[in-house]
Amino acid sequence: MSNFTRRSFVKLTGGVAALGLVSMPSVSAFAAAKKRVVVIGGGYGGSIAAKYIRMGDPNIQVTLIEQNKDYYSGPLSNWVITGLRKLEVQKWGYEGLKKHGVEVVIDQVNAIDPAAKTVGTVGGKKFEYDRLIVSPGVGFKSIEGYDAEAEKAMPHAWNAGEQTTSLAKKLQELKDGDPFILVAPPDPYRCPPGPYERASLVADYLKKNKPKSKVIILDPKDKFSKMPLFTGGWKQLYGYETPNSLIEWIPGAQGGKVTRVDAKAMTVYTEMAEFKSSCINIIPPNKAGAIAEKAGLTDDKGFCPVNLETFESTKHPGIHVIGDASAAPGLPKSGYAANSEAKVCAAAVVNILNGRPVGIPSYVNTCYSLISPDYGISVAGVYKLNAGKIVEVSGGVSPGTAEDTVRKQEAVYNESWYQSIMADTFG
Amino acid sequence: MQRKKIHMLILAGGLLGGLAFSTLSQAADPPAAAPAASAADAEKAAKEAAIKAAIAAPPADAAMLANTCAGCHGTNGVSGGPAMPSIAGMPAPYLKTIMADFKSGKRPSTIMGRIAKGYTEEETALISDFLSKTKWVAVTSHPNSQMATKVDAAKAKKGKKLVSDQKCGKCHEDDGLTQDEDTPRMAGQWVDYLIIKMHDLSNKHLKIPQPEKMQKAIEKLTVQELEDIAHFYASQR
Repeated sequence: MSNFTRRSFVKLTGGVAALGLVSMPSVSAFAAAKKRVVVIGGGYGGSIAAKYIRMGDPNIQVTLIEQNKDYYSGPLSNWVITGLRKLEVQKWGYEGLKKHGVEVVIDQVNAIDPAAKTVGTVGGKKFEYDRLIVSPGVGFKSIEGYDAEAEKAMPHAWNAGEQTTSLAKKLQELKDGDPFILVAPPDPYRCPPGPYERASLVADYLKKNKPKSKVIILDPKDKFSKMPLFTGGWKQLYGYETPNSLIEWIPGAQGGKVTRVDAKAMTVYTEMAEFKSSCINIIPPNKAGAIAEKAGLTDDKGFCPVNLETFESTKHPGIHVIGDASAAPGLPKSGYAANSEAKVCAAAVVNILNGRPVGIPSYVNTCYSLISPDYGISVAGVYKLNAGKIVEVSGGVSPGTAEDTVRKQEAVYNESWYQSIMADTFG
Repeated sequence: MQRKKIHMLILAGGLLGGLAFSTLSQAADPPAAAPAASAADAEKAAKEAAIKAAIAAPPADAAMLANTCAGCHGTNGVSGGPAMPSIAGMPAPYLKTIMADFKSGKRPSTIMGRIAKGYTEEETALISDFLSKTKWVAVTSHPNSQMATKVDAAKAKKGKKLVSDQKCGKCHEDDGLTQDEDTPRMAGQWVDYLIIKMHDLSNKHLKIPQPEKMQKAIEKLTVQELEDIAHFYASQR
């Protein structure tokens, strides 16, 4: 090193530069062939994005980072609570995605650096990306008294898995005559008809097993998704609005908003009353999953504003947010919408990385709910983007009155919908 | 008691609020009722105009459009759910006709009518062409579903005889393998879907578009016989 003169250093670096120039075209050709996409979260949104990017351009390297080895589907998990299904059939793994050439990493992301375009994990790994897709699902805003301990005593069961079986157990152990208390969240939240499907199926369970009990829904809202269909079904099946109704819905206008919970006393408080039971299901107000918030992707409402053509964040370029975490006015926070958003995002990312225009999006939502095991209802929508807004060009809910066979068919389609969308997601 | 009181209070508040509002708006603008109604009308008109403009906007490409079907009909039209038909590789003219019939209501449906109305003829054609080029996978070898079809060999055997007796093969040639613009493929289709669909076809009150001889043949069959036929076609590849 001592005889390393300035001149030879210049010559050396010049030489390296020349070498660099020579090898540059092949390096950049290689780099162009191997653009890197990192996807955070392997649910209804993230898994689809990863798979459809690989289907759209197998030259793109896709890494999916998911914190859990197994995925438990939220859709149809209400059936598990009342024993209609086992949790096991809600469980899916990542072998299918690996067959599409997706690199699956089981780890938790704890840092996103939008400037350096890197993602860091709890496991100490670091991933570079050209495009990042964030699909973390939802987290919860606080309700006074609803801490980690309370979450165990009063499960939300709004992320499927242990929480689902915990609520199922509490329902089983409920004393005939005691109420099942369901605290519904304010808009916007994951799965708009979900709390009301849950109330319906619990009422079906109570009717058969604990006829002296009833469901009390404490709701900050005055209306909800598929409301006339739900209340119509409740009247038909559960004596809704009669003195013996198996479901009592207390809307916001009648003081349904819960302000505080006490897990030790197993009591929830509204502004004017208190409700006590051994079986309380709290679905707290939703917000985007923690990593989205940490990465500065959320707005003051707690969700992530995006460009609806690409689902690229309006806060950090190069990062896309899909699924329940995104704020996509016009689309519901449903599993199907997450699937649809993921495909729009995947196509845009493939086009962007290939230097093409992003393309025109098309979105669909299809969502089934059960009012009883033989009574299914649905909502569907087809959407186009026009003048920067998502417009529903067709769709709507099941008819208000229909023959029993139609309701039964929709219940059957519900299960098949699940099988198909899971095959699309994990197959 | 407490709640009843509160309820009454809210009701009174609502009434009062309503009164105050109407007084105020009257003070500001005498023909108060009319603008309120026309504001709602204007909102409705704006919404309808937005829908019209969106429908008229250029279509997405074929893959983008067809991929939205996959949530129910599976990736590339290979269904993972027994009641949802696989539509992979079906002839484009057949798919176009079915979608047009769903859209017009000629073909009854629980949900497809609501969805088909969202697509222009051009978009439906793009979807149909895309799906006609995807690869059919017989459900008996479906790799992904938790509900892999269990074809009942005894039922399939009875079904085979029924299919022969009823001369189904005159149109549904090669044991349901042949497909054309009027005839869907049935070989390797889901059992549950075939049962539901044949059951619907046998109900003449539903007025599903079908050849008269098909209607006459199918309406005579019992539920059990339809099930046997479904198992037969599902067992084929």
